[in-house]
Amino acid sequence: MRGPHPEAELVAWLRGELPPAERQRVAAHLDACGECRRTHEAFAAILADLRGAGAPPLDAARWRAGLRARVAGAARPWWRAPRTWAVAAAAAAIALVLALPFGLPWLEPAAPRDLAAVEEVVLGRRLPLLRQLPVVERLELLENLELIAQLDTAAPDGAAGER
Amino acid sequence: MEPSDEVLCERVARRDEDAFDLLVGRYQQRAWRLAWSFLRDAEEARDVTQEAFVRVYRAAASFDGRARFSTWFYRILVNLCLEHRRRRRWWSLRTPADGSSNGTPPIEDHPAPASHPLEGLEREQMMRRLWAAVQTLSPQQRAVVCLTLEDVPTPEIAAVLGCAEATVRVHLHRALLALRDRVTP
Repeated sequence: MRGPHPEAELVAWLRGELPPAERQRVAAHLDACGECRRTHEAFAAILADLRGAGAPPLDAARWRAGLRARVAGAARPWWRAPRTWAVAAAAAAIALVLALPFGLPWLEPAAPRDLAAVEEVVLGRRLPLLRQLPVVERLELLENLELIAQLDTAAPDGAAGER
Repeated sequence: MEPSDEVLCERVARRDEDAFDLLVGRYQQRAWRLAWSFLRDAEEARDVTQEAFVRVYRAAASFDGRARFSTWFYRILVNLCLEHRRRRRWWSLRTPADGSSNGTPPIEDHPAPASHPLEGLEREQMMRRLWAAVQTLSPQQRAVVCLTLEDVPTPEIAAVLGCAEATVRVHLHRALLALRDRVTP
């Protein structure tokens, strides 16, 4: 009789990690069960293929030289490592570049804190628009006159646009 | 008599450069093969293996000798490989695949070197499919497969990954089933 499929033991059997009694039981099952035998053969073939592919040869001299440099860097205190300063300088440069579009705080006057002063600043920034105020008012007036002139022909609820 | 790995590690903690060289000599090739099967990229494998030894050098004093040195070293190396893969995955998610790669996994661009150059195209394609399938395994399954390829015994793999031996066998069983299903035409 074949007994239950030894799924849990198959991998251990494959790696030669089963005690003798278990090993005999699994071997007997594999003799009798084609399905488990095919699974076992497939597993063994996959592991053999992966092992057979191997790694490319390592350039040991270059690898060792790289390791020595890294170990020397690791043995040096962090504040003496040239990389630390390079990283700090790069970070400062990036921060500066990122801050430029928003302006640099020490190059601009401090922002006023009370509301009146804020309004003053806002109005000051709209000064070119304010200089055109009479023109703007006149335009609004003209617009209103046009609307008044069309009142007789205008349809209610904005349907005029459809005609 | 050759000093054990653990004794060498103690000497490395006292900054004994000769002891460090000996340890490196013992583990260099194993580390290289493991990192290569994990990452399938020579540059990354070189970087990761060097970093693993740098960490050994730095942290040798913290090795308490309760576990084997090899277990400690493999744990460092496997963690570095997993970290590297996570980073690579994160990067690949943020860099859209261009026309040349056509969305294929990086493994396709780095075929395994054939041990027998005259092996047929079919076999080469099968090997590509196989390694591409290994890429898709979960990190634990992949770690178990790569350590198995290095003939690390199951109890040591369990110690490296911090899980039970039965869990290691389940990972390997599922990984091999997945590989078989992907590779079988």
